[in-house]
Amino acid sequence: MKVILYDLDHSYAAVVESKCDHAIVADGKYAPCQGCFGCWTKHPAECFMKDKLQQVCRIIGQADELVIITKNLYGGYSAAVKNILDRSIGTSTPFSTYRGRQMHHTLRYGKHDLWKVIVYGEITEAEKASFRYLAERNAINDGFERSDTVFVQNFEELEGLL
Amino acid sequence: MKTVYINCSPKKKFCASSYFLFLQRLFAGGEKVTEKLHTPADYPRILDQLHDAQTVVFGVPLYVDGIPSSVLRFMEAMESFCKENEIHLNVYCIANNGFIEGKQNEPLMQSFEHFCSRAGLTWGGGVGIGGGVMLNVTRILFIVNIGLLLLNTVLSIARTGDFFPQDAWISFGESAAFLVFFNLGVLFYLGRMGHFIRKGTFSGKKYTRIMVPSFLFIIFADIFFIIISLFQGGLFRGWLARKQSAE
Repeated sequence: MKVILYDLDHSYAAVVESKCDHAIVADGKYAPCQGCFGCWTKHPAECFMKDKLQQVCRIIGQADELVIITKNLYGGYSAAVKNILDRSIGTSTPFSTYRGRQMHHTLRYGKHDLWKVIVYGEITEAEKASFRYLAERNAINDGFERSDTVFVQNFEELEGLL
Repeated sequence: MKTVYINCSPKKKFCASSYFLFLQRLFAGGEKVTEKLHTPADYPRILDQLHDAQTVVFGVPLYVDGIPSSVLRFMEAMESFCKENEIHLNVYCIANNGFIEGKQNEPLMQSFEHFCSRAGLTWGGGVGIGGGVMLNVTRILFIVNIGLLLLNTVLSIARTGDFFPQDAWISFGESAAFLVFFNLGVLFYLGRMGHFIRKGTFSGKKYTRIMVPSFLFIIFADIFFIIISLFQGGLFRGWLARKQSAE
């Protein structure tokens, strides 16, 4: 399954949705994660907040390919995209294991294929390096076999990458 | 010199970030103000503190290898505020994560560095701490031990009139020594950071962890989550199952 998580405005929705099995729009209207661990310890793979993100980890967890379209913010994801990633830790379980020689959580949905990040917006070379590193870390943490980070100047360029 | 400590944990209470900021305050001089960042309603109060401050210390938990989204939103507001008001501060960061390796905080540290560049602030460096949740538990255990010591002292006075029950003090001393040992790396690096904050210079990025072997840490962490999941009921609701979306 291919999932696209994006923070573009609604005018791009039709194009994005035609390129994947499931699209998740990061419109910045969701409440942030409260760090309660309830999606591990109380209602597994489900957030206690009853909004559209309540079961988002069940969608991301089943993605073979996750494509994240995000505006650059300090060499990382925009706040709207990060909000959704923060609310998706239920893709893993509370049990610990080792991946990439570091401690991580075991995967509720098993291994995935590609964690791809398409970054738009003004960005420095130092921020690009940080973004690549962040995507690699995310891929290891979430059990993706590989990561790819691409920087684009405009939507036409972006569309060709989907 | 005024230092503003910003507790950025989305948790309302018992968060590890507040513990590390508390320890950091012990090593910094001058006027010290601690603010809790929880919702956008907190922005005006916190930003107002920056007008006459020289230093800001962020206490941040690691979320999905980076800065929590609620903190990112505040940083965007702080960037605009500092530019508009020509405020130039030294920024330090104390990051913590639940895994054993403090080094896992590195992407978060890099984001803070880029934030400083864009906001015209001076990046002072940070300390990345592994085992943050468990270190926070040592704080609670220390308070429990003080309670037990007081209880034993009261019982001793009531039974024998002895104001200094030797066995209770030895037991307390042993427990306290263990708890301090677990925190040694944190105490050293936060003390070191305090030195650089007082001088207003770059402290570098340093990583430390709870002083427990990794294999023991993982066992403790798993037991911790089993107990919590037992009490909260998750253990009986398909704890490790591949849940399907209702959509």
